[in-house]
Amino acid sequence: MSAIPAALATATGLGGAGALAGVVLPYRLRVPVVGALTAGVGVSGCGAGVAALGGGSWAATFPGVLPLAGTYLAVDALAGLFMAVAGAVVAAVAVYGIGYATGHGAHGLGSRTAQTALPLFALTLVLVPVAASVSTFLVLWELMALASLLLVLAEHAERASVRLAGVWYAVMTHLGLVLLLAGFALFAADAGGESFAALRAGASAVSPTVRGLVFVLTALAFTSKAGAVPLHAWLPRAHPEAPSPVSALMSAAMVNLGIYGLVRTGLDLLGGGPAWWWLGLMAMGGVSAVYGILQAAMTSDLKRLLAYSTSENMGLVLIGVGASGLFAAYGDRLLAALALAAGLLHVVNHAAFKALLFCAAGSVLRATGVRDLDRLGGLRARMPATAGLFAFAALGAVALPPGNGFISEWLLLQSLIHGLQVPGVAVAVVLPLSVALIALSAGIAAAAFVKALGVGFFARPRSEEAAGAKEAPALMLVGMALLGAACAALALVPGLLGDGLDRAVAAVGLPGGGAVSGGALKVRIADLSASLAPLWVVAALTAALMLAIGLPRLYGRRRRRTNARLWDCGGGAPTPRMAYTATSFAEPLQRVFDDVLAPEQDVDVTPVRESAYLVERVRFQRRVPDRIEHRLYEPLLRTIAGTGQAARRLAGGSVHLYLGYGFFGLVVLLLILAVGW
Amino acid sequence: MSDDLYTQLLDLACGAFLLAAVMVLWRRELAAIVRVFALQGVALAAIAVLLGAHEERWDMVGVGIGIGVLRAGVLPHLMRRALAALTEDRRGYGDGGAESRETQPLVNVAASLLTAALLTLLAYAVARPLTELNPTPATRALPVGLAVVLIGFFVLVTRRRALAQVVGFLLLDNGITATAFLATSGVPLIVELGVSFDVLLAVLVLQVLTARVREAFGTTDIDDLRELHD
Amino acid sequence: MSAVGYTSVAGQVLVVGGGAPLLTGWMRQIRARLEGRAGAGVLQPWRDLRKLLRKEPITPVGTGPAFRAAPALLVATTVVAAALVPLLSTDTPVRGHADLVLVVALIALGTMALALAGLDTGTAFGGMGASREMTVAALVEPTILLSVFALSIPAGTTNIPAIVSGAVHEPARLTSPAGLLATAALAVAVLAETGRIPVDNPSTHLELTMIHEAMVLEYAGPDLALVELGAQMRLTLLLGLLSSLFVPWGIATSASWTALAVALVLLAAKLCLLGAVLAAAEVFWAKVRLFRVPELIAGSFLLALLAVTASYFLSGAS
Repeated sequence: MSAIPAALATATGLGGAGALAGVVLPYRLRVPVVGALTAGVGVSGCGAGVAALGGGSWAATFPGVLPLAGTYLAVDALAGLFMAVAGAVVAAVAVYGIGYATGHGAHGLGSRTAQTALPLFALTLVLVPVAASVSTFLVLWELMALASLLLVLAEHAERASVRLAGVWYAVMTHLGLVLLLAGFALFAADAGGESFAALRAGASAVSPTVRGLVFVLTALAFTSKAGAVPLHAWLPRAHPEAPSPVSALMSAAMVNLGIYGLVRTGLDLLGGGPAWWWLGLMAMGGVSAVYGILQAAMTSDLKRLLAYSTSENMGLVLIGVGASGLFAAYGDRLLAALALAAGLLHVVNHAAFKALLFCAAGSVLRATGVRDLDRLGGLRARMPATAGLFAFAALGAVALPPGNGFISEWLLLQSLIHGLQVPGVAVAVVLPLSVALIALSAGIAAAAFVKALGVGFFARPRSEEAAGAKEAPALMLVGMALLGAACAALALVPGLLGDGLDRAVAAVGLPGGGAVSGGALKVRIADLSASLAPLWVVAALTAALMLAIGLPRLYGRRRRRTNARLWDCGGGAPTPRMAYTATSFAEPLQRVFDDVLAPEQDVDVTPVRESAYLVERVRFQRRVPDRIEHRLYEPLLRTIAGTGQAARRLAGGSVHLYLGYGFFGLVVLLLILAVGW
Repeated sequence: MSDDLYTQLLDLACGAFLLAAVMVLWRRELAAIVRVFALQGVALAAIAVLLGAHEERWDMVGVGIGIGVLRAGVLPHLMRRALAALTEDRRGYGDGGAESRETQPLVNVAASLLTAALLTLLAYAVARPLTELNPTPATRALPVGLAVVLIGFFVLVTRRRALAQVVGFLLLDNGITATAFLATSGVPLIVELGVSFDVLLAVLVLQVLTARVREAFGTTDIDDLRELHD
Repeated sequence: MSAVGYTSVAGQVLVVGGGAPLLTGWMRQIRARLEGRAGAGVLQPWRDLRKLLRKEPITPVGTGPAFRAAPALLVATTVVAAALVPLLSTDTPVRGHADLVLVVALIALGTMALALAGLDTGTAFGGMGASREMTVAALVEPTILLSVFALSIPAGTTNIPAIVSGAVHEPARLTSPAGLLATAALAVAVLAETGRIPVDNPSTHLELTMIHEAMVLEYAGPDLALVELGAQMRLTLLLGLLSSLFVPWGIATSASWTALAVALVLLAAKLCLLGAVLAAAEVFWAKVRLFRVPELIAGSFLLALLAVTASYFLSGAS
């Protein structure tokens, strides 16, 4: 029991020390020391989380720390899961980050601001799940947002797009904060207290309309943080522009906190709700999954692809959480526990492979300076470790065996497939559609990652920068290897997580169904007969691979391998320019989904001056815009700008007018007071 | 002193206080306005001294005397100096009188007086529940303080000359101080000191600013500053 | 259980591995006869494989480990899937692992490996084939998983031996509207996955019409033998899966040698029948344009969705 507060205290101490070191130390000492301290924060946070998953819990109140409200902290298994995930990701990425920032100079990630913000960001990632009252939660949430904003803006001197990304991120995260504040304030006012315990106790006394309103407000805020459509627009802008270690932290640890907030508020504090809440959540998740991965398949910017893939995976988790609430609303608590376990397992798996993907992408970016897949290529020869780790993580991302993504997706599919035993026509319509959407997103994800891996790493380099790439330095490789080991562990022995997952699910009041159990080997659904043994699959595949390799050797004559030319139709050796690019790879898929994507195409023909019939230059441009941004955000922004312009007429320039506004306001207020009394 | 005498004197002082505010609205010459303001300063000091003497709080009497010195002595003196500086460089051109007059205010005099009456009524309506809480002679005079606040704000809004606006601002502050004394029998000494210091500083700054504005634009008519918008 | 069980698993792998070229030869022969040609004989694919295996192994310049590993990975995934799917018997030692979603995923893994190999060559044909193959595979996934869903509803599980033995004991499930719709949907999905007409023409020589063939254009010698064997094995496996799910009679449900022998004979018969039907249909169909393929697949998706909803509503919304 005392392990948790000790670990949390260590984490806080190390985080503070790290921030101090970031401010005080000179560049050469700053990066390693801050990185080591941040890794310490991660390790202690992970330790606290693991202790909570192992059955520990802790609660404490500090009345003095926050004025007026006091600080309430509580750790249970659900919080422990998210703490453990965040801590582990922080630890590995911090090690990677030391290698990333070294040798790059005291700007960008190595600058004082960024190195101060990094340990604070890591600390808030670990502490947000610990908050147990509305004010503590919001304070930590806002600190997390501010720290991450500083980190996103770290490279603002190098690219102009960073500033725009920072603005989008700042606006949307604060919009989320406002929604959260409104929702929680409403909830606390009606439930009669602002600590989570009071909210939980008073939730049943709140009227259904208010509960619905609270859920809608908080769900919008939390799904926006998780990057689900339609409030996702900050994700594909902020994640690519941030330095890669920061992108890894944001994608693999911060978006999870949106899911944490959703589960905590919807399932725990509000205690579940009517079916329409969860159907809406599932719809949001399904649309996010397909839309996100479709955009990922279209883009040729490597980090933007990974960011959209985060959106997709969070959509899958939302489907799981929504299904869990739906089943609980209809009374089938065992199935609800299963669906929630699937969602939480996917959160863990996603954190592992997404962090590794971003770290590998960062390694590529650092070595070549290029993010555009159309200009990369041939990196498997020049950066073999990075390429191998990227391939391994991509296997998890496409949810195919023997990767770790497959296990959680399998569990999710099982919970949905078995969900038809729950009554209700809405369920009968929604479940097959969810399965179809999950399948479609998995298929398109396979296409997207084949594109990323095949075009970015295989064949030959398409540009000089790619040709000059060198392997990443040792610390970066160490960080990536740690994440790879985590992915492998999750892929081979997911049963290690089994009891912890059950306790996390039980923390929201659903009975732990023992879904991931049966020793450290199998994923078995208690009560329903379906099982998956990842270790067996890997063993079988290895044996079959031996067979497949050995067979030709047995039968064929033993000859040495020779090299030959590629088939070039007799026209001379193929140049790298002839290879398929990412854009061309995505073209058939883009044509199929033309109506959804609505690409914009521009052909510009410049004729020769003397004659309009001779062409001097032709320019072709195609863009696949984010249609939701186009249809939803742009009209909204135009309206706001228009209102602002109209309001400018209020500032006429006359000092009398300005003073008059104040006087008028005062008089009106007094009139109201006089009349009111 | 006896209660009756005290009540009468207090009412007299408050009446003079309010009357001074109304006179500021009525008179147009800047020199006259400054004189009336000095009178109001005396009335305010009288209110404070009376209250202090009645409750036998000598610190309040001291504060009252200090306020009197500041608001009836120092501030009007500063403003007279500013006025003299303004009219002096015009004397050479022969229109030295123009500056010492207020040009047509935004709201003409009749309407201003009417508005002052309405604002006084509003002050009475708002202050009634406060008075009912604790009906003493001091709190019964509370509406006067509120009325002077509103009238001071009104002066601030509708005058064109910078110096007249400064007077309006100072009326506002006088009204607030009077309200504080009447409602709560004074604010702590340190608050009063701080506020007085602020007011002093504000007047000094405004004096310098007015001189600068006059140098730059040749007039202190703030309507000419309308260009300051985007 | 042990001896019979292991033998049936080994038998499944051998039937799929060794019988695949025979099935392909059979189908080509049927097609040839229907088109009025003499045909090369049922054993021709065997001869082709033998010839290729004896050739010199070649690696094109500029390719990498993905290109080298893909053929073996393709064959390996198909072998594991063949071991899992109850072609001969439902009472095998691996029956606890035989999940339908897993089998579908293993097949998708093989496709992905080959697509990566196509991109690894760095030629335009490789990329083209990979791009088209991944598009078709992405679009077919929902159909396949929904058919899995439809099949698992009456059985209450996605475990294939359980589904098959359930169907053996209750034949009414298969003739219900849900069963028939699921059959149709899965048949179209199998055509798309294995690259047969009308989705892809396996015997085309025009590079611009290729999907599967373009990906493997650079392979030669023993690598090409493995690739061809892998493709033939996938066809055999998927036809076997169709027959197990929809015509399950004959599959051994108990551990006995006679049941196994009967199952072997019947499996061969079913595969020959299905292969003949497919080959005959291919004579009369034409390959559709690449951008008409999504329409075809959307139709099969609709069938699968109807199968699920019919299964739900007709089973009484329990």
